[in-house]
Amino acid sequence: MASINTPAVVMDNGTGMTKLGFAGNDAPSWVFPTAIATRASGSSAKPSAPAKPSFLNTPNVAGSSGSTGGSFGTSPSPALSSIKRDMADLDFYIGDEALEAAKGPGYSLHYPVRHGQIDNWDQMERFWETSIFKYLKCEPEDHYFLLTEPPLNPPENRENTAEIMFESFNCAGLYIAVQAVLALAASWTSSKVTDRTLTGTVIDSGDGVTHVIPVAEGYVIGSAIKNIPLAGRDITSFIQTMLRERGEADSSLKTAEEIKQKFCYVCPDIVKEFAKYDNNSEMFAKYIIDTVSGRKITVDVGYERFLAPEIFFNPEIASSDFLTPLPEIVDGVIQASPIDVRKNLYKNIVLSGGSTMFKDFGRRLQRDLKGIVNERVSRSERLSGAKSSGVQVQVISHKRQKNAVWFGGSLLAQTSEFKSYCHTKQDYEEYGPNIVRNFSLFNVPR
Amino acid sequence: MLLLQPENLLIQKTFSKALSEDYIPATLDRVITDFDFTAYHISTPSDKTGILLSVGIKCWADLIAHGTLELLESIYSKYSSFLQILSDGNAEPGYNYGLYLELGKVDLQNGEEIATLISDLSLLKRNCFAAPFLEAFGRYEVLAQEEPVDPNNIYGEDAPNNSKEPVIALGYRDNESIFIKPSNDRVTVIFSTIFNDETDKVFSKVFLQEFSDARKRSIQKAPQVINSHHDIPLEIQGLEKENSDNKKTYITFVLFPRHLSTDEVKWNSITQIETFRSYFHYHIKIVKCYLHQRMRFRVQSFTKILNRARRDVTEEELRSERKTASGRRFEQRT
Ligand SMILES: Nc1ncnc2c1ncn2[C@@H]1O[C@H](COP(=O)(O)OP(=O)(O)OP(=O)(O)O)[C@@H](O)[C@H]1O
Ligand SMILES: [Mg+2]
Repeated sequence: MASINTPAVVMDNGTGMTKLGFAGNDAPSWVFPTAIATRASGSSAKPSAPAKPSFLNTPNVAGSSGSTGGSFGTSPSPALSSIKRDMADLDFYIGDEALEAAKGPGYSLHYPVRHGQIDNWDQMERFWETSIFKYLKCEPEDHYFLLTEPPLNPPENRENTAEIMFESFNCAGLYIAVQAVLALAASWTSSKVTDRTLTGTVIDSGDGVTHVIPVAEGYVIGSAIKNIPLAGRDITSFIQTMLRERGEADSSLKTAEEIKQKFCYVCPDIVKEFAKYDNNSEMFAKYIIDTVSGRKITVDVGYERFLAPEIFFNPEIASSDFLTPLPEIVDGVIQASPIDVRKNLYKNIVLSGGSTMFKDFGRRLQRDLKGIVNERVSRSERLSGAKSSGVQVQVISHKRQKNAVWFGGSLLAQTSEFKSYCHTKQDYEEYGPNIVRNFSLFNVPR
Repeated sequence: MLLLQPENLLIQKTFSKALSEDYIPATLDRVITDFDFTAYHISTPSDKTGILLSVGIKCWADLIAHGTLELLESIYSKYSSFLQILSDGNAEPGYNYGLYLELGKVDLQNGEEIATLISDLSLLKRNCFAAPFLEAFGRYEVLAQEEPVDPNNIYGEDAPNNSKEPVIALGYRDNESIFIKPSNDRVTVIFSTIFNDETDKVFSKVFLQEFSDARKRSIQKAPQVINSHHDIPLEIQGLEKENSDNKKTYITFVLFPRHLSTDEVKWNSITQIETFRSYFHYHIKIVKCYLHQRMRFRVQSFTKILNRARRDVTEEELRSERKTASGRRFEQRT
């Protein structure tokens, strides 16, 4: 193929939000929900999906459930009805349009990514198709692509991704990067980061799960990763519950989400914070919703401002089965990593994802973690009698934290070497899908 | 989504935001792409309220040879009080053409006018490509005047002297071109396109057959479509020397007077034809997605059947079945 100097396409498909854009830009061009609305009786739903109206005759193949199925091979004549169905196949929306369409009748909403991993490939394939052709307006044959994956993604998922990108879309080249590594790269923009290493602990908290991932020189230390089943969605529903219990005029998910993003922050000490609110009524806020009818609804915002993000530090207030505070988990993860990198893991703790956006989140984490570490250091000093040189704990917050993964991808994909790290369509055709099991790591540009 | 939209949604989004009432001016610097190696750059070069939209198109030289600059001038000069046109030497380095919008000076009265402006901006690529088509349509009108169509020529054969009419060629992609040839009773548009992928090539044949048949079957108003996989169509044999290793496919659209009657129809024809290549490649990809879906569905249902056929093996049997790596059985010692 002739010269390709088009910008690479960077796509980060998260559980909640998809970030799409071109390498070299400082922000994703599109950020919308990873959602797809399909015609309710469509054939794309997995056979095990919740009951759907299946007025179509049951196919004669045993085992295929009531979705339209069965026509592939069994009914060779392309009758008019089948043409109609093919059109229904194009009748879907993604992103914000999907949420809009799902409000009306006839469409059902699906989220093809679960816990960071692609769960429904049919839906994901169509999601990508529309992302590329409608939203980014690019011919995939003319562009290189950088996709992201969660830590510990099974290699089969990578192969499936490559199959779609190369066989359906014929994309020119593909690189699949681990989200945590990209988040580390994104932190290089912070002034606190002096040397651009790919060693550090990444705390990636998005919509569904929070990962704590130690990375040493670009390699994820898989054995030490910890997942916390608390993230954005849980915080939102915590706020929603509080609004409901107080009987606020509006306690929809959307309101709770807005309140979370606009008003919540992390406090240094809850007891003192409660006292502050009780002594000073100015701490209470008001959230005003303009309804379509022009009426204004006022929702009072109270203790949830600091209580909601507090569930990272005191999980018992929201969850009964997960009780370890985030700083302890981070400490445990670093302690479970090889001893020679621990020092650097403590020194470079990088935040990424929407749910780390609360004000003072990094500061509180750093303080609590320092407390744990100092205690251990002084204990071992007491036991051994030797003086320790101390451990530097540093949590890095930066401007691009919210879409850190995408931004890291954009940084790496704009380098001149990027294309040489990609697998190309030719490579794929020569060696087959399993070439994408390995990607060489980026050399750190200095 | 059956058709590809001619508008660029990102340009639309950026300017809708910038022209909304509660816009807080911000520094912008972003690249945006469009089909056929079209690149846009939206930036705020001097201060935050001046937004520059630059466009770079691969076949710019071909386009300006056929009146693109004049056409763009006629479209965008009506906004001249706040929109400055940067062409030729003034365009941003690396790009061909620029539009500089000063937010402070925008004096449009109502939402409708603003919407028209946004739409005009987001259709920049279409507008760039429109000029050669309009030129050809103009030539067709002249030719039709000079030599009215012979009503006896029911087979629509080309009048012999029309073959001298020059063909407009646009090299819109590497090795792929659009050719436009006006004559006294039609305008012929020929696309050459390449399928690098073998599977795509097969699908393309089926598709093109469908296009040609569609007209016969029901949609008589559609332009006639003629496809040829390897042979260079007569009209452009002077321009395309050879079809090296038979990779190119040629698709010919014949636009008849009814596709060129009014301005609205003309623009509609241009919009559809200009996105045709992308549309075509897009639909081939959709078909592949669809086939993959059916295949996954099949595999899933077969796996289910297989799973059901699996016999429950008891612990006892399992133990006696255990083999060494070389395939020998363990002896059961009693
Ligand atoms: N300013 C903010 N303050 C608090 N939470 C926010 C803010 N902005 C976004 N969020 C939350 O961040 C979450 C989305 O984050 P992100 O886009 O990083 O997740 P994701 O990548 O989709 O998911 P994951 O990484 O788990 O797969 C949502 O739950 C959203 O409510
Ligand atoms: Mg994410």
